[in-house]
Amino acid sequence: MSNIPENLKYTKTHEWIDVQDTYAGVCGITDHAQEMLTDIVFVELPEVGIEVKAGEQVAVVESVKAVSDVYAPISGRITEVNKLLEDKPELLNSDPYGEGWIYKIDIKDKYELDELMDAAAYAEHVAQGE
Amino acid sequence: MTAQRTFLYEDHIKLGARMVEFAGWELPVMYTSIIDEHMAVRQSAGIFDVSHMGEIVAKGRGAKAALQRLIPTDMGRLEKGKSMYTCFLNEQGGIIDDLFIFMLSDNEYYLVVNAGTTEKDVEWLTLNCKTNVAIQDVSGVTSKIDLQGPQSYNILKKIIKDDRLEGLQRFYFFTGTYKGEPVLVSQTGYTGEFGYELFCINNIISRLWNDILDAGKEYGLKPAGLGARDTLRLESCYSLYGHELSETISPIEGGIGFVVNATSDYIAKDIIEDQKKNGAPREILCLEMMDKTIPRSDYPVVYNKQDIGAITSGGFSPLLKKGIAMALVKRGLVTIHDEVSVGIRGKQSPAKVVARPFYKYNGKRL
Repeated sequence: MSNIPENLKYTKTHEWIDVQDTYAGVCGITDHAQEMLTDIVFVELPEVGIEVKAGEQVAVVESVKAVSDVYAPISGRITEVNKLLEDKPELLNSDPYGEGWIYKIDIKDKYELDELMDAAAYAEHVAQGE
Repeated sequence: MTAQRTFLYEDHIKLGARMVEFAGWELPVMYTSIIDEHMAVRQSAGIFDVSHMGEIVAKGRGAKAALQRLIPTDMGRLEKGKSMYTCFLNEQGGIIDDLFIFMLSDNEYYLVVNAGTTEKDVEWLTLNCKTNVAIQDVSGVTSKIDLQGPQSYNILKKIIKDDRLEGLQRFYFFTGTYKGEPVLVSQTGYTGEFGYELFCINNIISRLWNDILDAGKEYGLKPAGLGARDTLRLESCYSLYGHELSETISPIEGGIGFVVNATSDYIAKDIIEDQKKNGAPREILCLEMMDKTIPRSDYPVVYNKQDIGAITSGGFSPLLKKGIAMALVKRGLVTIHDEVSVGIRGKQSPAKVVARPFYKYNGKRL
């Protein structure tokens, strides 16, 4: 059973956001996502400063076998990316909610957060095999 | 059409395999990690279920002559108990399939072909083998396991107790027994390592698989999926049908020019001999990425701002820890040490043309 921290918000496409205050969040992919991918060997980070819309492709993670898009859980502006992942993409496997964070975002519209799942809803989503 | 299952399906599920569909079959892509399974084969041993592959018997007094007409490889290189790699050619010099031919006797040959092309191969053989040859597709009754890696001998000798195993040379085979049933044991493979391919009837395959897994425990044997099979063959630059090889790619172009050595007549000989002498329109290049990106099939290859071809197989090399690829490009434009670029999601990533293969056949037996 994969790890689903209580304090995060989740997307159907297996991203998480840690809302640090009303206007800033940290984003990454879930433990379930990294388990499905296994052996992550490359991460394409977004550019700092770009504006993204909720649901838009924002990064790419590649396992040995497959290329997967990472989508933005919320609209906003990218303020920082985790450069450590360029040399250590495996951090996404070993610590997806910690050292494996992908980018930080300035949240444009906090009401969009209501569209995201809480831990219980995401756990159910994963259990249904989606 | 639902995907077919091999006779090891339940065993894969028990091992926690992640199953995918490949060539109409439901097969394990990995059990725990492609990288771990890959390294197990390089360092100790791995076992693969490749029961999806096709097996066809060509039997009769006319078999040798009929097969010779279909392949650019000299049938005279075979002897009883020996196998060779070759391909079927169409009239244009394209490849209908690549295959191994095992010589069972003067008048009986065992052909091992790709899963997705088996039907097409049987039709081609039936059409072209009319005089004194019977063609029989035995894929449905045959299962196949590959045991690959330097520890393969130590593992297999505990299961197949046969004096012929110890001295078995590369590309040679014998028919041993397991649980009273025949098992074709061949010292061949698709990984760049020493190892065996084992063919037997379906109803003993699960016992054979599990016995080998048990026997291999002390040697670090791991079950390995199609994911590792693909990264292993990519490092070794073994061409794969549907990627480097197809009906519109010749063996000279597709990186298997070494199979062209027949002096007698065969289909498309003129075209193939001409390409061998004067060069083919295209060639396979080996590329190593100079950044951290990973090249994948169909990505364009650019040189001097010109599109010169595309990646046929690419991925992350667990051994070199970087992106590597084979690419089919216009011949003669670039050579080893040249720098090209690969178009990845709209950006150009630099790649170096390197010598083939990335990983030389190891052949070490521990």
